Amino acid sequence: MSNSPLKALALVAATALAFASSSALAETTINIAGWGAKSGPLRSFGVNSEAVMKAAVARVNEMGGIKLKNGSKAKLAFDYHDSACNAEQAIAVARKVASESNALVGIGPTCSGAAAAMFGVFQKKVGDSGDTGLQFPILTDTAVRNGLAKISQWTFRNTPNEPDMYDKLWAWVAKNHPNLKTIYGGTETDQGHSNGTYSKVIVQAATRHGFKWSKGNIEGLTGKLASGFKNVLSSSSNWLQADTNFSVQARAFRRSGADIFIISSHPFTTCGMLKELKRQRATPKLIIGLTSSSSAEVMKGCAAEAEGMIIPTSFAPITPAAQEVAALANKNGGDADLHSAAAWENVMIIKQVMETVGVTGDPSMVQKERRMIRDGLESLKSTNGLIGKVTRVQDEGEALKPYVFVQAKAGNWVVVHDPR
Amino acid sequence: MNFDHIDVVQSLIDGVLFGSVYALLGLGFTLIFGAMHKLNMAYAASSIAGAYVGLATITIFAVPTVLAFVVGPLAAGVVGLLIYISCFQFMPRNNLLAPLMASIGALFFIDEVIIDQTAGSPITFPVLLPDAYFPVGEYGFRGDLLFIAFASFILMGVIVFMLYRTKMGLATRAASQQPVASLLCGIPTHRTNSTVFILAGVLGGFAGCLAAAAVGVLSPLLTLPLTVKGLIVTVIGGLGSIRGAIVAGFMIGALENLFLLFRGVNERDIYVFLVLFLFLVVRPNGLFGTSIDRD
Repeated sequence: MSNSPLKALALVAATALAFASSSALAETTINIAGWGAKSGPLRSFGVNSEAVMKAAVARVNEMGGIKLKNGSKAKLAFDYHDSACNAEQAIAVARKVASESNALVGIGPTCSGAAAAMFGVFQKKVGDSGDTGLQFPILTDTAVRNGLAKISQWTFRNTPNEPDMYDKLWAWVAKNHPNLKTIYGGTETDQGHSNGTYSKVIVQAATRHGFKWSKGNIEGLTGKLASGFKNVLSSSSNWLQADTNFSVQARAFRRSGADIFIISSHPFTTCGMLKELKRQRATPKLIIGLTSSSSAEVMKGCAAEAEGMIIPTSFAPITPAAQEVAALANKNGGDADLHSAAAWENVMIIKQVMETVGVTGDPSMVQKERRMIRDGLESLKSTNGLIGKVTRVQDEGEALKPYVFVQAKAGNWVVVHDPR
Repeated sequence: MNFDHIDVVQSLIDGVLFGSVYALLGLGFTLIFGAMHKLNMAYAASSIAGAYVGLATITIFAVPTVLAFVVGPLAAGVVGLLIYISCFQFMPRNNLLAPLMASIGALFFIDEVIIDQTAGSPITFPVLLPDAYFPVGEYGFRGDLLFIAFASFILMGVIVFMLYRTKMGLATRAASQQPVASLLCGIPTHRTNSTVFILAGVLGGFAGCLAAAAVGVLSPLLTLPLTVKGLIVTVIGGLGSIRGAIVAGFMIGALENLFLLFRGVNERDIYVFLVLFLFLVVRPNGLFGTSIDRD
């Protein structure tokens, strides 16, 4: 027993070493990055996405984290940056994250204009040694303007497919409201998403399903995507994102005599326009809105005036999972909507891809593993969404998400059609 | 596009009435410029900040809506005083650039505070007279804008009375026209200027509440357009001219609507700025501005 103190010391040392080793293993983290508008007038978009992303990362860690290539588990960590709905800032954040962090993949940004510019600094074709653009995989949650992901093979989106959604919406309106024949509308022309979706998608889809522009034919408008879009804009009554006086536009809407008004704008001006329409006693039989306005902001700002407005959306709390995410978003100080809810799905997609391709958590492998994740994202055929299965459009990096049509009723968005 | 006379006249009516908000803001810019010959770029932002405080008060304490129109202007008056202290009081009198840049900083500071506190989301503001719309034949008049136009004339009268019929007004004019001489005569220049900032702030807070009530929504998006329009009105009316600010406010409101009707939203502001440019070239003192000799 003379050497028992030594044995005890050795035992303590061994235990401490083992504990330290296991702690070190437990401390292994896999980093991802998110960015969106956390300042500026569209800050709520970033706040919502960050709140949902935070909840999703917490859920991943509650489930044990990310399973690494060697079978061990690593915690998932994320940083959320402010890109302020500004192209330069989004590019700066992307460059910083790609070059100065160990983040393996990014989620963001908020605005389509910022996304289009930011995607432009990424390497266009994977493996092109002559292209020194950023080689960092992005899975966008919010920027929704049609066709952005094909700018680079490193950029992917999990955003709704608006051409498909509005096509189905107008088909549904034609079937369920056969007495409605004519349309008139307007958009905020300084917002890429509102403007592009209105002039290239919504009006064309309406035309395809037999609806007529109430002020006569628009030259070049055939129903084909983007057909006659410049004439669509010049024939409409438009406004800007910061406008406060909508009297001229609302009168044009009222005097158009159209059965259906199309208001393609974000919540602030959607509310301004709806209030002015009500003031001028404009009484359309139906109002169709932009996907981005199917949010809590419209209900906070002008629930009474929005009553009856119909919008297609890829998120509504209609499944237990969606309800849970909506509750978690609120708990984290945000709201789950069609944009922010995608952040949850994206984190889960990233977890799945990381575990499939086998990341290691080794900082020296970051660039290689970014490429592996990119390849993994590209190979996905479908993913699990909060309201149903999401089909990946593999050659475009885009998604075909399930959707519903919601209608503003008594201060809430109520599902009026569920084609899932 | 074809427009009939109804479109044109109704656009003019709406524009003139909405221009009353610009007129009120122009009045505040004018008061401050008249007193100090310096521009307070944070003026519209402090007006909107006041409206936010008014809205927060009625929301948090569940008090009658009308109190927003009392608390808001008072809060804007306090913000005005803070802006005076931080951006004007301690700046060298002859350095025109320093307070200008400081007040631009204050503008963005206030804007960011609002964005931070509201997450940038638009917030519903109680609409004034929501159902008041007076059709006259083919035309219509918004009751809330009629009220704002009426209020702006009343406030203009009050300001003119205070400037020309009270000791405070006399001191303000003296400090404005001969700051050193007025100081030698025992007029407390800083107290006079701070009073003007508070008064202008109260006026702006009222304008901010009225503007928010006219739109029905409060948003940080309001600050920059109102700042720009307020400045245009002040310059076109004639720097320092009260009646100029009122007339130019109505004029810019009307022209803005006509440009929107005839040229569309993308060209509207081009023509508004063109009008400003023309005034600066052809009539740099504005509609009613006069050059004032200073020490």
